Amino acid sequence: MSGPGVSAAGALAALRDIATTHVLAIPDSENRHLYAAIEEDPDIVLITPCREGESVAIAAGLWTGGRRPVVLIQNTGLMEAGDALRGCGVGPRIPLRLMVGWRGYPGARGRLPIDSAYPFTEPLLRAWNIPYSLLMSDDDLGTVAQMDRTAEESSYPAAVLFGSAFRP
Amino acid sequence: MDLFRALAARRTDEVIVTTMTATLQWPLVSRHPLDFDFLAFGMGHASDFGLGLALARPERKTIVLKGDGGLLMSLGSLVTMGRHAPGNLMVLLMENRRYEITGGQTLPPRVDFAALARAAGVEGGGITGMGRVLRIETFDEFETTYPAMREEQGPHFVVLPVHTTEPLPPVAHTDHAGRVRDLRAALGVY
Repeated sequence: MSGPGVSAAGALAALRDIATTHVLAIPDSENRHLYAAIEEDPDIVLITPCREGESVAIAAGLWTGGRRPVVLIQNTGLMEAGDALRGCGVGPRIPLRLMVGWRGYPGARGRLPIDSAYPFTEPLLRAWNIPYSLLMSDDDLGTVAQMDRTAEESSYPAAVLFGSAFRP
Repeated sequence: MDLFRALAARRTDEVIVTTMTATLQWPLVSRHPLDFDFLAFGMGHASDFGLGLALARPERKTIVLKGDGGLLMSLGSLVTMGRHAPGNLMVLLMENRRYEITGGQTLPPRVDFAALARAAGVEGGGITGMGRVLRIETFDEFETTYPAMREEQGPHFVVLPVHTTEPLPPVAHTDHAGRVRDLRAALGVY
């Protein structure tokens, strides 16, 4: 058993296990400890674009060139990146690996005011036909490898949704 | 087109990523397995895709041919280029001051694209710390400047004032997934 949320060290290990070469990330409140862990990792290159559409397009270029990038993104950024996701993932069937922070999830569980980003997140992923799994605790860390396999086998984007901030 | 003919004549093993008007014109002068038409792949993001490709394939140059209207759709890309672009990325910005492919609507007239790139940290930036921002005013200047630029470390962001004198062929989007597969194969990625 593990504590609430996901440990940054566990998530980093999961990213290493799938041979991640680059992580495209913009800092947010939920990913900050994972972001810091990636920043310190000697093998994974952290790239910090200005907006999430850039992240998706850079990841598509990296994958086309033979690398194994992961896009670490908040659901709000997923919404911003819609055209890039369409053009660089869904349309050309590029197997983007997406780790999506579910802003609003804690509020929906009664701990904080509900964020308007919350209710659109799953419907949006379903609209793109992007398969996703929930990463809510360390017990779920296997979903990262599952996302990787799904993306590879389907040659299509796949995602994990994490519902709270990574623990240090 | 003169510019593209000159570039194609000097082509060796570079990946050439094109978008918008360049997507229509470049195939008139080049049919190469390392040509990549980005037009259907995301508005404003051709140079981001090129940055990823250049990082992934450091053994060859990646050259992106994009327009000034497209750059306005993702100005933050310049900041990302200033921080993360490798030395083998070259962005050639076709500055025609209009959205040519959609009918010639004008851009905001006072934007200085080279100054934007400098302010974003591209000059002296990129992961090499050797980024260069240039504005090349004439075809002759391009002809004399490009060979050295081709050989030296970048990243390069080059503003090229252009105008189109020949009719544009129609847009032809086909098999986007197939084109990605073809480029990976040409790069030796399977």
